[in-house]
Amino acid sequence: MSETAYAHPEVLVSTDWLAAHLDEPGQRIVESNEDVLLYDTGHIPGAVHIDWRADLQDALVRDYIDPAAFAEVCAKNGITRDTTCIFYGDKSNWWACYALWAFRLFGHTKVKILNGGRDKWVKEGRALTKEKPKPARAEYPVPAERKDAEIRAFFDDTLAHSKARKPMIDVRSPEEFSGDKTHMPEYPQEGVLRGGHIPGAKSVPWKKAVNDDGTFKERKELEAIYSEGCNLQPGDDIIAYCRIGERSSHTWFVLTYLLGYSNVRNYDGSWTEWGNRVRAPIER
Amino acid sequence: MALGQSGEIVYVPLSRGDMGYPPQLTKIIDLFAALPEEEKRENLIAYSEQAKKHEPRPGETFSLEDIRKDEECTDTVGVYLTVDESGHVHFRITLGEKVQTLTKAMTSILCRGLDGCTIEEVLEMPSDFVPQIVGGQLVRIRSQTVYYVLTRMKSACRVYRDRLRAAA
Repeated sequence: MSETAYAHPEVLVSTDWLAAHLDEPGQRIVESNEDVLLYDTGHIPGAVHIDWRADLQDALVRDYIDPAAFAEVCAKNGITRDTTCIFYGDKSNWWACYALWAFRLFGHTKVKILNGGRDKWVKEGRALTKEKPKPARAEYPVPAERKDAEIRAFFDDTLAHSKARKPMIDVRSPEEFSGDKTHMPEYPQEGVLRGGHIPGAKSVPWKKAVNDDGTFKERKELEAIYSEGCNLQPGDDIIAYCRIGERSSHTWFVLTYLLGYSNVRNYDGSWTEWGNRVRAPIER
Repeated sequence: MALGQSGEIVYVPLSRGDMGYPPQLTKIIDLFAALPEEEKRENLIAYSEQAKKHEPRPGETFSLEDIRKDEECTDTVGVYLTVDESGHVHFRITLGEKVQTLTKAMTSILCRGLDGCTIEEVLEMPSDFVPQIVGGQLVRIRSQTVYYVLTRMKSACRVYRDRLRAAA
């Protein structure tokens, strides 16, 4: 089955396509990584760097930036309301999906993902440069609002969701889901007091959605994992979570764009909020 | 650390006399402490690109080898310790390809900065110089691995010292 079988195939670009369209008018390539210095070591020619914390998160409140700050991030990176942003990054595009999701919070819908992300581009021996682009400042009108209600879930939303036993996907590792570990393998930080999962959540580690090269699995395979494996129905109200919302952004992207579920929210507070929250119920 | 005029945390340059960092490391700390954020990044990249130069060379033998992949790091890290006849340490380090750029940079900095120290000097050295080198913007919850290589170097020194004590 080809990529065109996805619900929204237009949101994915291949490394072949991007290599041939680096200077396509009306687009901006955006790198977003876990490794904070990776962009500086070399990036896809023309790509700008948007950092998940420094650029997208409020420095003083655990929240995202406000619409005015978002407009400024876009303006300084040469992004207009009509610019198509192609996101890519390390870790199988965790942070690329996170940045894409954050752009969607502000109503920027012209977004795409480089299938396979940075690792695939590098492994294929494609061009990298240390030269940072200097895009002309763009005009980006301040969005009227940040559309949290559409694609973002907060603690209270998630608690109500859990009590109503609505579909909820825990995308962390099986060890985190069971409570055997209170951190993701290789990331012992971001401490939480308790291990386990939100009552009613099903365990579907994010990695099930990707092939070994970081590209997304075919639709049929994804349907077997999510639609059949989790019994998700069209129109279902679905919440995905992980530890801080980046791995669940990846799953949110899969459910929303590749499988076409129209009502998926990312609980970005995730386990670092739930696992520490006084009186939050958990299951093991 | 101290509080700045608007209440922000600022990193006060350390005095080598007060803190007793090795001279080579002190030079590196002083260099980074004086740099603006962007130049810190450029220098960290330059150090990260030197990391392979600190791998073991053919024919070298070591007083202790500690190669492992554990929870604190995204890939395997090998620490190779040599203690010369005068009791000074020399490190070689191998890094798996998934290791983050900051870890690569700290590897270069520490292999250089700790070269020629004694075992005790390495073990007693505080790690509070790291934010001065890395810079406030890059020290993150998820980037605590900047401390990882130093922890592993200290661990190798501790094992070596304990072996010596046990053999005495």
